[in-house]
This record gives sequence, structure tokens and C-alpha cells, in this order.
Amino acid sequence: MRNKVLIIGCGRLGANIAALASEKGQNVLVIDRNENAFDRLPESFAGYKINGDATDLSLLEEAYIRTAKEVVIATGDDNVNLFLAHVACVIFEVPSIYVRLDDPERGSLLNGLKIKAIYPFELSINKFNLMKGEDL
Amino acid sequence: MKIVIANGKHEADFIINMFKGQNKDLVVINSDKNFADYIVRSSKVPVFVGEPYKRFVLEDSGTRDADIFIALGEKDTDNYAACMLAKKEFNVKKCICTVTNPKNVDTFRKLGIDSIISSTYLLANSIKTASSLEDVIQTLSIEEDKIVLTEIIINPTYKIANQKIMDINFPKNATISCIYREPHVIIPNGSTIILPKDKLVVISTPVEQEKVVKFIQTTK
Repeated sequence: MRNKVLIIGCGRLGANIAALASEKGQNVLVIDRNENAFDRLPESFAGYKINGDATDLSLLEEAYIRTAKEVVIATGDDNVNLFLAHVACVIFEVPSIYVRLDDPERGSLLNGLKIKAIYPFELSINKFNLMKGEDL
Repeated sequence: MKIVIANGKHEADFIINMFKGQNKDLVVINSDKNFADYIVRSSKVPVFVGEPYKRFVLEDSGTRDADIFIALGEKDTDNYAACMLAKKEFNVKKCICTVTNPKNVDTFRKLGIDSIISSTYLLANSIKTASSLEDVIQTLSIEEDKIVLTEIIINPTYKIANQKIMDINFPKNATISCIYREPHVIIPNGSTIILPKDKLVVISTPVEQEKVVKFIQTTK
């Protein structure tokens, strides 16, 4: 049964999504290649922390990607994120995939795939325009 | 023929010099400004400075409709992103991607990269073939290991020496594709006689390779 939530990259975004999912009682696993990154997780975090390189497919298998219902990819490297999104989609057929991309241009390579992208840049611009509109 | 060489250091340098002046249209992209300057000076070819996984770099360098795109960067995932972009959005016919992690060979292939090269992977495979067969034999795997070429030198004590090919009942799923007999190369037919000192080039499936070698080396 696919019941796990896998978070790759324990930066500010990854850690907060992981904490939220854990709070809601989800079965959460977080991967980061830097052990110190896990310090961002709150004391109450009840999920698993896996220290290693997620671009190594055997590590993803150890992190139960085959039984994941959702993968959130938020490392600091767009190309790593893009690659992992393709891996999660094409090789492991994870039903729900979210990926953070700093460069909105890179998103075109997700076309036609069941992957949802988050672009912090676009969110900031949209927010700026919104605030600007309010000020007028 | 248009060839794009994206990133890489000495390997890029080597490939550029191999193709230079061969009437090929070379596009060189390198993200390292200093190395780009070096190539321009030493090889006298223009180099486009930029990251090959960015759309404007591929656009401005003239990558569109290239026949071959070779990614030689240090990071496997950067090479992956560059190849994918070249393939999906720039109509590049064939992408070759180098990887440092040999495990990525199979992964990248599954994700749609045409050709993946890992020196460790190649090394491991040649050790495998070298250790399974005697040293008089050289083998080469092609088409992702589906076909193997085996070179064997005929010893006068072998049963098949001085016999016609049609008389020796050669194993199935294997053919003698050519015979090198100093100084000629012979494309054999049934009536060709195999002579001592001939070098046989046999094409077969990997499964049949051992059987073929045993068959040829059967002594009288």
C-alpha cells in the first residue's frame, strides 16, 4: 500500500512541509545529504530522517519510495530536483509529485508528466504585483 | 554534421581536436570562462560561455537541430538536464551523456537519454570479460551489450583448423563475420577454409559467447 510521504531536501521548505505532514499524523521520511539539515525539524517531528544522496536510486528504495503516495522534492539544486522528479514519475510511478524549481524556465521539461511544480520566483512576483495593486 | 560539445575539460579538448577540420560543424559550450579561453587559444574554435542546461545558452550557441550533443560536465544531474533540454526542445538527434556514478547508466537510459558513458562502468565490464575468457581473446560489446564481437586466433591444434566453414557445424546465434589473414581481410562463405593463424572475428549474443569460444578452441 502506498502510504508514505517522502521529502527530499531538508531545507526551510522541505523541513516545514515535513513537520506539517508529521503533525497531521502522516508517515513521513526526510532525506538530506547533510546531517545538520535535520536541525531544522521541530522536536515534535515523528518521522524518519535519512542521511544520504537521494540521486542514488538504492537510497530512494531504502526510503520506501515504492510505497510512497507523495514525494516532495526541494533540494537546493534545480537539476537535481528535475532529475529526481523524472525518477519519481517514470521509474517509481509515485502518484503525487511536487517539485520546487528556482528557475521557472526549467519547468518546461515537466510538460506531459504528472508532476506539480512550485516556483518561488513566480510566487514572489505575483505577491509583489498584488501588493502594488493594493497600494494604488 | 553538427556536433555540440557541452562542458568538460581535457576530454572536451580531445574531442574538439579530433573533429576539428573534418568538415564538421562544431558547437562548443563551456561554463568555465578560463577553460573556454584556453580552447579558443589552443584549438582556434569559438566557444560559447554558459551553462548548457539553460535554454538561452543552447539557443544562442546554435544547438538547434544538431546531430549529436555530448555532455561532459562534472555533475551527472547537470549533464542529464542539458541532454533532456537539447533533446526535448532543440530537436537534437542523439544525446551522449557522461556520468561519474556508474549506477546512473541504467537510470539515465530508462529516462530516455540515448547513450550514457561511465568510465567505471566500462572498466567493470572489461574486467568482467577479461576475467571470464582467456587472454588470447578480445571482446567488444555493442548495442548496450546485446551483441558481442569476439576475436580469436586459430591455433593449428584446433579441430576447425584447415576445415571448410560449411563442414564444421558452427554454433547457432553466432557467425564468423570476418577473417583476418595477414595482410588480407576475408568475408567468409561456406567454402572458405579456416587456416592456422587466422584471426576470426565472431559476432554473437553474450549468452552464446562462451559456447562459441569453447567450440573454436576444441582441439583435435
